[in-house]
Amino acid sequence: MASTGSAASDAVVRVDDLRVTFPTMDGDVHAVKGLSFEVPAGGALGIVGESGSGKSVTSMALMGLHRGSRAEITGAIEVAGQNVVTASDKKLRQMRGNDIAMVFQDPMQSLHPQYTIGNQLIEAYQVHHPKAAKSKARKRAVDALGRVGIPEPEKRINAYPHEFSGGMRQRVVIAMGLMCDPKVLLADEPTTALDVTVQAQVLDLLDELRRDLNMALILVSHDLAVVAGSVDEVVVMRHGRVVERGDVRDVLSKPEHPYTRALLDAVPRVEVSRAQRRAQDRADRVARDKCEGVVTKPGDFKAFTPATGEGEPLLSVRDIAQSFKVRGGMWGRATDFWAVKGVGFDLYKGETLGIVGESGSGKSTVSRMIMRLLEPSKGSIHFEGKDITHMRERELRPLRRDVQMVFQNPYSSLNPRLTIGESIGTALKVQGERDGKKIRTQVQDLLERVGLEPNHYNRFPHAFSGGQRQRIAIARALILKPKLIICDEPVSALDVSTQDQVLRLLSELQDDFGLTYIFVAHDLAVVRQVSDRVAVMRKGEVVEMGDSDSVYENPQSDYTKQLLTAAPVLDPDEARRLRAERFAERDGAAA
Amino acid sequence: MLNYILRRLGAGLLLLVVVTAVTFWIFYVLPRWAGVTPQGMAAMYVGKAPTPEAIQATVDRLGLDQPIAVQFVEFLRNLIFGQEFTFGRQTVECAAPCLGYSFSTNSPVLPQILDRLPVTLSLGLGAAVIWVVGGVSVGVLSAVKKGSIFDRLAMGTALIGVSLPIYFTGLLALSFLVHQWGLFPVSRYVPFGEDPVSWFQVMILPWVTLAFLHAAQYARQTRAGMLETLGEDYIRTARAKGLSERKVIFKHALRPTLTPILTILGLDIGMVLGGAILTEKVFSLNGVGAYAIDSIVSKDLPVILGVTLLGAVFIVVCNLIVDLLYPVIDPRVRITA
Repeated sequence: MASTGSAASDAVVRVDDLRVTFPTMDGDVHAVKGLSFEVPAGGALGIVGESGSGKSVTSMALMGLHRGSRAEITGAIEVAGQNVVTASDKKLRQMRGNDIAMVFQDPMQSLHPQYTIGNQLIEAYQVHHPKAAKSKARKRAVDALGRVGIPEPEKRINAYPHEFSGGMRQRVVIAMGLMCDPKVLLADEPTTALDVTVQAQVLDLLDELRRDLNMALILVSHDLAVVAGSVDEVVVMRHGRVVERGDVRDVLSKPEHPYTRALLDAVPRVEVSRAQRRAQDRADRVARDKCEGVVTKPGDFKAFTPATGEGEPLLSVRDIAQSFKVRGGMWGRATDFWAVKGVGFDLYKGETLGIVGESGSGKSTVSRMIMRLLEPSKGSIHFEGKDITHMRERELRPLRRDVQMVFQNPYSSLNPRLTIGESIGTALKVQGERDGKKIRTQVQDLLERVGLEPNHYNRFPHAFSGGQRQRIAIARALILKPKLIICDEPVSALDVSTQDQVLRLLSELQDDFGLTYIFVAHDLAVVRQVSDRVAVMRKGEVVEMGDSDSVYENPQSDYTKQLLTAAPVLDPDEARRLRAERFAERDGAAA
Repeated sequence: MLNYILRRLGAGLLLLVVVTAVTFWIFYVLPRWAGVTPQGMAAMYVGKAPTPEAIQATVDRLGLDQPIAVQFVEFLRNLIFGQEFTFGRQTVECAAPCLGYSFSTNSPVLPQILDRLPVTLSLGLGAAVIWVVGGVSVGVLSAVKKGSIFDRLAMGTALIGVSLPIYFTGLLALSFLVHQWGLFPVSRYVPFGEDPVSWFQVMILPWVTLAFLHAAQYARQTRAGMLETLGEDYIRTARAKGLSERKVIFKHALRPTLTPILTILGLDIGMVLGGAILTEKVFSLNGVGAYAIDSIVSKDLPVILGVTLLGAVFIVVCNLIVDLLYPVIDPRVRITA
């Protein structure tokens, strides 16, 4: 890989022909195969790739965190003039935190739950400054917490990690990285586990810190849109190799490698409307069917968008609310916590309703009430005209067939001890089908329909990738020919390209079977592309609801506007402009 | 907090009543159902060659011919308010909580148990210290050096430890270390207050034998917990800070590992304090456990009942202590009454 034009001498990180190999029983796994890049002091590099591309292995190697594992590392990694590959353990420990600090993916897991954040921050300073007085370390910790935007750092320093939200915890982790003024900050998927608005805040913070403290930033992500606004140079990785590398503007506007192009195409764009996406999907499908000799006319597509208010709604939800008992306080008196406080809508056959919201907005609780996995505390739910609000389990049997759910995590929502054929077929058995052969053919037909092989019937879930498992989950939901499918974050655990394929499948199935969806997600772009109507939820309430184009193009509520400006943007210049706007707004508010 | 403790103590008391009822039922009701007459039951206490008059006297004194419910209420009343026993001219005062009157030794049960308690306490607490320190350190070392010779040796020994019964390891230790090689003195229990050195010399072998059994379990549990904790994200964070491996292990990894250990420790200590029967018997220590066995052999029902109740008390108290310690070890645990 040729070196870019930047002066190599001032590079604070230099990686040359890095190879990481894990010997396994089935032979060597080459996780990284010849990676080279450098980052100048104060510069920012993005490393982008899907799962299995070797990007996280690379970031671990930069910290020397493969020590003591089986990994074999060749090539050179130089951080602040020190070779990480050959450095002694002691030298390496001195570098960690001091020269290069790391921010991890999951802020809920990356802080020690049993020590106060102050303790953990002070420790990060004292390990590299053993002679420093505790009071000095403490002052630095308070400063660092203030720097990353923790309110009342003086007081909060004595709090435990569980007393912070996810976004705040990520700020604490960043503050911990800042304790020793490192020359490089390595952030591995720092926002993947966070909500959109929090994601924007954390990315803004990283960008601001890099500029103010002249730190180099290495931002690792699976999402091109996340790195677009924050880095100068970008490296696209696939199967351990670099497929493309260059200035972020060039790579995103004129991608050279077909893989980069495919990756870019797969990123859901918030400006693409439902109608555009559907037209595109149908055109692609007609073209594909033609190749296979099937003639599909546009008229064959069953899904339609009914004018609201016509005919009987399939589902009619009136002012439902859900409360949970929360114990707390000195006398342990139970108080009511309203997770959902009054949500109502009508849903017509063939329609898709998108529910967007951040964690804690109550969107999953709504879908669980409609499934009648929860009994609403207030309000009513009618399905096909029948009141199902307080039905007993026995009477709910038919509903269990008509309403199905696709869950978020394809890894834990399939029973690992059942073959996928059994997993899918069980529903038929429960509903009274006795003929084993019939079940088998039905399941196999469906497997084929969702893009899997009929002979996958006898395989276990572990043999499938995340995207394939989500297809299995969809097949499991479809087997009973339901009238309504509730998808709860069905693509948020998937890579962008897999995500695109699953969305495509869902829309094809809607065309074929005239399905009705409720699509719950936190990703605004995804929701827009699949939804006819959108409900924006916040703290248990619907703040805005309407047809998706008008909500996205002409948002009425401040919260929707805020969500839309926080959504990551692929255009590097646009992303920078939006960030500048957020800063200006914040500074204006502070003044 | 106080509220919580009071509530837990209340629940513990209720549990003790249930334990009493069950034990009472086993020893006083089951034999009657099996066809034993009040006279037959009384005969068990009177001694060899009982005369019918003596038996009848015992039946009257114990109220063995009363309905069961009456007997149980009487037992509870005595437990709470105390009781007086009269043998002809002699009157024995049994102050509350009166657990009854032992017929093999002709004296109230509780003082006899309390007499033997120091032995059991010495044995149980001393052994607990050894097994916790030993088991946890071996477990930590094994986890850190996973797959090494030390790990395999330690886990092999641990397997032997959990598999071998006390009466085997104990007798082995006695016959070689004491009798054959004379490394430890042959002597009776000496109270700590009288001669701490002798106390220690006498107790060390029982401690190690009893600890060996438990240490094995603690080592295995610590190793498993430690390996799990070492895979956590926050351990990676600690390493990424540049902390030394020692600090990573002892400050960051050990503490979360100790939480489940504390749970089983509470149960184990409670059990051992209720009488480490085998160890006491093997090493001829006259503790609560040995007393329990002797009373079972002589069918001394009040003593059996008393020892059982005491064991239950220890379990309840130790569990309460463990629950109060949780928030200290893990700040996420909050006590709400």
